[in-house]
Amino acid sequence: MKIRGGQPRGRRLQLGVRGRDGGAISALNINRTGAPMSGSEPLDRAASSLVPPTGGKTRAKDSFDPIRHQLLTGAILLATTIVALFSSGAVLAVCGAALAAVHWLSGRRWARAIEKAREEKRFLDEQLIQSQKLAAIGELSAGIGHEINNPIAIIGQEAEWMRHLLQEEPGKTEEISDSLREIVRQVERCRDITQKLLNFARKMEPVFQGVDVNRLVDDMAKLVEKEAKLRSIRVIRIFQSDLPALFTDPPLLRQVVLNLLNNAMHAVGEKGAITITTSASGRDFVNIVVSDTGCGIPKENLGRIFDPFFTTKPQGQGTGLGLSMCHGIMDRLGGRISVSSEVGKGSSFSLALPADK
Amino acid sequence: MPLSPKVLIVDDEERFRTTLGKLLTVKGLQVDNVGSAREALALLGENNYDVILLDVKMPEMSGVEALAEIKKINSGIEVIILTGHASVDVAMEIMKLGGYDYLLKPCPVEELLAKIETAYDRKREREGRGPKL
Amino acid sequence: MEKFRVLVVDDEIDFLETIVKRLQKRGLDATGVDSGVKALKLLEGEHFDVVILDVKMPGMDGLDTLKEMKRKRPFMEVIMLTGHASVESGMQGIQFGAFDYVMKPANLDELMEKMTQAYERKTLHEERKSSGRSGAAGSVRG
Repeated sequence: MKIRGGQPRGRRLQLGVRGRDGGAISALNINRTGAPMSGSEPLDRAASSLVPPTGGKTRAKDSFDPIRHQLLTGAILLATTIVALFSSGAVLAVCGAALAAVHWLSGRRWARAIEKAREEKRFLDEQLIQSQKLAAIGELSAGIGHEINNPIAIIGQEAEWMRHLLQEEPGKTEEISDSLREIVRQVERCRDITQKLLNFARKMEPVFQGVDVNRLVDDMAKLVEKEAKLRSIRVIRIFQSDLPALFTDPPLLRQVVLNLLNNAMHAVGEKGAITITTSASGRDFVNIVVSDTGCGIPKENLGRIFDPFFTTKPQGQGTGLGLSMCHGIMDRLGGRISVSSEVGKGSSFSLALPADK
Repeated sequence: MPLSPKVLIVDDEERFRTTLGKLLTVKGLQVDNVGSAREALALLGENNYDVILLDVKMPEMSGVEALAEIKKINSGIEVIILTGHASVDVAMEIMKLGGYDYLLKPCPVEELLAKIETAYDRKREREGRGPKL
Repeated sequence: MEKFRVLVVDDEIDFLETIVKRLQKRGLDATGVDSGVKALKLLEGEHFDVVILDVKMPGMDGLDTLKEMKRKRPFMEVIMLTGHASVESGMQGIQFGAFDYVMKPANLDELMEKMTQAYERKTLHEERKSSGRSGAAGSVRG
């Protein structure tokens, strides 16, 4: 299977995908989350739409149950019609046997067709993931371009200014050193960005250790508390005392929690509250939720906040890597991060970590 | 009538706009600089700028939005957009809105200066004053 | 408890001497220096498992020292010690690879616990590296 000219168009990616036998399967419009958009239905949904909605239970492990159900429904309908026509028990029995045979045969045919469709879907999925990766790289390089070009532009100008001073006004040594200092500062800024990117790209496997979640969260809360107090932001802790044991990478989890707290502080600005909640979902998951009473996130941004370099902060104040880094870390820890938000009311970021690793 | 173009730099990177201002000033231009589109719009009423250098990515009001506003207030001003990364979409939008040119950061001051001068000449020509020599 | 090597870096000499003594009493092989530059110099010739590093020091501050330390010894774990909790420095410290942050005045039991965890992490990390598993720390995939 080959991607035929996957070309990014704005934020979407259009794909023409060919089947292994060379025939076109379908053209899909995908967005970056991989959810199919207008254009064509995914095969799964197309297959399931064949099946009428049923009230009865279907066995989950039998993957062809819906189809069998449909055939049976058809058989019963047909049988009922025949009964109505002939009112004969004998005919009904014959029809019943024939239908059972048809059902069995077509079940197998369907099974093969669906298996084939599923296989195609697997290939399609792989292609989609691949093209999503390409799209992500494209976006990433645009982001890097912007983040790095600004400091480089400043460095270039400072160098030109220094050249001017050295040629025309060499006595102004203080101004020359000021330009030099600025160059060093901007180089540092570039280095921070590349460093963060490297950390971001580094597939450093997490080191799992036993962690007392409440204490870890409490430690990070302490780091923000002082500044919060100065800005009349209350930090409220609602900790569940008997959390299941958690094996995770402590510094990585700290990084995520602190990032969320820092974002919450930014969102609130002044006067408000940040609530940190820890809880367990059964014995399987430990949840950490950071909620704020801040400005909230507009709906149109909600889908992009985990994208690398997406930021609403002014130039130089945020690289837009924080939340995407959190997302990456949570992936590596086997957990999840999710967000809910309402403009003007606040945002809530939830972390779910598997309790048993 | 000013003999050299009057330029306004709009960029939220303070150091970028101040040093650029100094570099253009020593080349004989009259330069002001501000850190946001809002401040720029406020200045337009009382000043007759010839060329505006406008950053694209700024908080609150982006350069593209600002461009539309500037053209509403005074369509005669030539606007050169500066940006950290090229995007076809943004470039198209800028041209549609009447932006004069589009420059990628970082760019040498000489190149920028040349663009400012041709933009200025064009403005004067349109105003019927003929090109500057 | 396993005896591991600890380096304490703090410009307050009184605090430094006291904490080194107390850590030694607890059975650790502890050394103290009063500046980031001295710490980095010491690292050229010696190995430590865990570093306790003061954030606010004159000259080379804790964050710069941390960056250099992590560059030189990526597996050595560093615990930042801070008198003034600051979100920004916390974010940076953790970003640059600090294991944890401890607020001054530090409770010794708490510090011991964190150091033990940091040491455990270092051991786990090194074990994995020596067992040659893929995706070893520090490798960057293009």
